[in-house]
Amino acid sequence: MQPSDNNSQECEGQSLAVIAEALYLSNLLLVPGLSFAVLLWLHLKHRKHESELAQSHLYETVKASLWVGVLLVVVNILIFLMGGYESANTWLVVIIYFTTVHSAFVLLGMLGLAKAMACKVWRYPLP
Amino acid sequence: MQYQSQAVAKPYFIAALGLFAGQILFGLIMGLQYVMGDFLFPEIPFNVARMVHTNLLIVWLLFGFMGAAYYMVPEESEREIHSPKLALALFWIFLIAGALTIVGYLAVPYATLAKITGNDLLPTMGREFLEQPTITKIGIVIVVLGFLFNITMTVLKGRKTVVSSVMLIGFWGLAIFFLFSFYNPENLVLDKYFWWWVVHLWVEGVWELILGSILAFVLIKVTGVDREVIEKWLYIIIAMTLITGIIGTGHHYYWIGAPEYWQVLGSIFSALEPIPFFMMAVFAFNMVNQRRREHPNKAATLWALGTAVMAFLGAGVWGFLHTLAPVNFYTHGSQITAAHGHMAFYGAYVMIVLCIISYSMPLMRGRAAANPPKAQVVEMWAFWVMTISMVFITLFLTGAGILQIWLQRMGDTPMSFMAGQDQIALFYWLREIAGVGFLIGLITYFISFFVGGEEQAS
Ligand code: HEM
Ligand code: HEM
Ligand SMILES: [Fe+2]
Repeated sequence: MQPSDNNSQECEGQSLAVIAEALYLSNLLLVPGLSFAVLLWLHLKHRKHESELAQSHLYETVKASLWVGVLLVVVNILIFLMGGYESANTWLVVIIYFTTVHSAFVLLGMLGLAKAMACKVWRYPLP
Repeated sequence: MQYQSQAVAKPYFIAALGLFAGQILFGLIMGLQYVMGDFLFPEIPFNVARMVHTNLLIVWLLFGFMGAAYYMVPEESEREIHSPKLALALFWIFLIAGALTIVGYLAVPYATLAKITGNDLLPTMGREFLEQPTITKIGIVIVVLGFLFNITMTVLKGRKTVVSSVMLIGFWGLAIFFLFSFYNPENLVLDKYFWWWVVHLWVEGVWELILGSILAFVLIKVTGVDREVIEKWLYIIIAMTLITGIIGTGHHYYWIGAPEYWQVLGSIFSALEPIPFFMMAVFAFNMVNQRRREHPNKAATLWALGTAVMAFLGAGVWGFLHTLAPVNFYTHGSQITAAHGHMAFYGAYVMIVLCIISYSMPLMRGRAAANPPKAQVVEMWAFWVMTISMVFITLFLTGAGILQIWLQRMGDTPMSFMAGQDQIALFYWLREIAGVGFLIGLITYFISFFVGGEEQAS
């Protein structure tokens, strides 16, 4: 990381980048599903956007949201199929698992949002 | 250090750190008593250790806040403190009164302490966090009023900034809400109702203003971002704090006998309380991303970011976890509460005090801008060891809480309290081990003050 020399906080594609990160966070915190749909639509629409900043934030947030889908939703279904919610251990694992994984993704989204606001690209540390 | 009188912060910080060590030792004693019931009995019973643990926490945080104010206000106001002598006198009064109170807790039974301190003249003792004898409470009021006078005079006579105004409002609120500790009605519902005006309106109200102002101050210093930008954030953060936090008090009124509408009001408003913490975290990362200089004090920057993240997790996430009335119906007063209490207090208030100490102590010790890199490396190790240990303490207590609720509060044949506790002893052992990790982190932190080496120019 380098200190930024331009103090102006505005740049090409910044608002799309910020919107992408905001939708990602909204998908986690406020309106799951719907926020992702809008995000995906924005990503498809702006795939050829001239701003690399906007493009990369849109791509990264879609990718990370798909991971959220796998790690939170699919795992939940698996637990349900495997053990059900009748045992104490299931609840123990599920609550701790969800709280930590969910918060970790929220924290990553905050980093992404801060980067977008500072006109910087940001890669989610996910394959 | 730009102003001579800023140096009065130093004894405040040293005392704070000393009492912090005491707090942790008593935490570990209690952690062991959780699994070995008669450890140190009858010398230090659990209830006494608990009182010492929590009261030391509050007192050392107050020392830290006051030290922060004495350090920050001269720089913000661009003038010396109104009366450094008063600041030093109040320091000794507070330290001696605090020490005597702790000795009182440990030396005589609580009932005897109440008797010899004249509790029956103005009964205020016997309530969690407010266990101090009435004369100690009066002492606290005198110290805080003297402090407020000193700081307010300095601010009024000097440059007025958003940072110092927010801090001042926070401290005035702290003093005003503490006055409710003198109101101790016979009616238990009323007692609890106003007890929360001290406890909740402190940590989820006025203390957050103090937290916000310290965080803003350190970020201005280490990032060099324009004050105007940081002030705008600070405004929105404290507005959100007050909008959500004041009526959010209702999340403590669900089951105490207060009117039922609190279940709705408390749930809605306190569910929004994570917002200011969320904003603080985005704010801190945003400022560091937009920084215009590389400040040599990397450790202070780490503490600033760490505070924002851990406060969000402890207060925001772990607070939200049990704040809705239908959830709180099951979790109320369980180990979930303790898990949240630990991470929130550590993340928000312990870390912000360590942050301002990290920023200011090198300057007060005559360094140009920061500690030598080697000392900072040790300090950053301490940061990670303490923080990760606290994460584990929280996770183990959360696990204990979930099982406790399952065994004791659900199903057709719920267990008795003690039978349930026996089942979850493993989690208490793990918590104690994580607590030892925390102590190791704290010792590392103390060592970092004595590590020498070449200083880096600013
Ligand atoms: C830095 C801020 C905070 C600190 C230091 C803090 C600390 C604490 C502590 C120590 C308790 C236990 C009080 C007792 O002894 O009964 C508590 C209870 C509680 N806190 Fe917080 N808290 C903070 C923020 C929050 C936030 C933002 C929320 C909600 C989103 C929240 C929700 C709750 C609830 C619902 C309880 C009651 C638990 C019960 O019913 O047993 N807290 N808090
Ligand atoms: C490092 C090891 C620590 C251990 C083993 C420990 C242990 C404990 C124990 C056993 C209790 C009593 C719980 C009960 O009444 O059943 C307690 C309460 C408390 N401790 Fe700690 N503690 C530690 C560190 C800390 C730290 C660093 C903080 C502050 C940041 C803290 C803040 C509190 C608070 C606020 C309470 C009251 C909680 C409530 O009312 O729910 N403790 N602690
Ligand atoms: Fe509260």
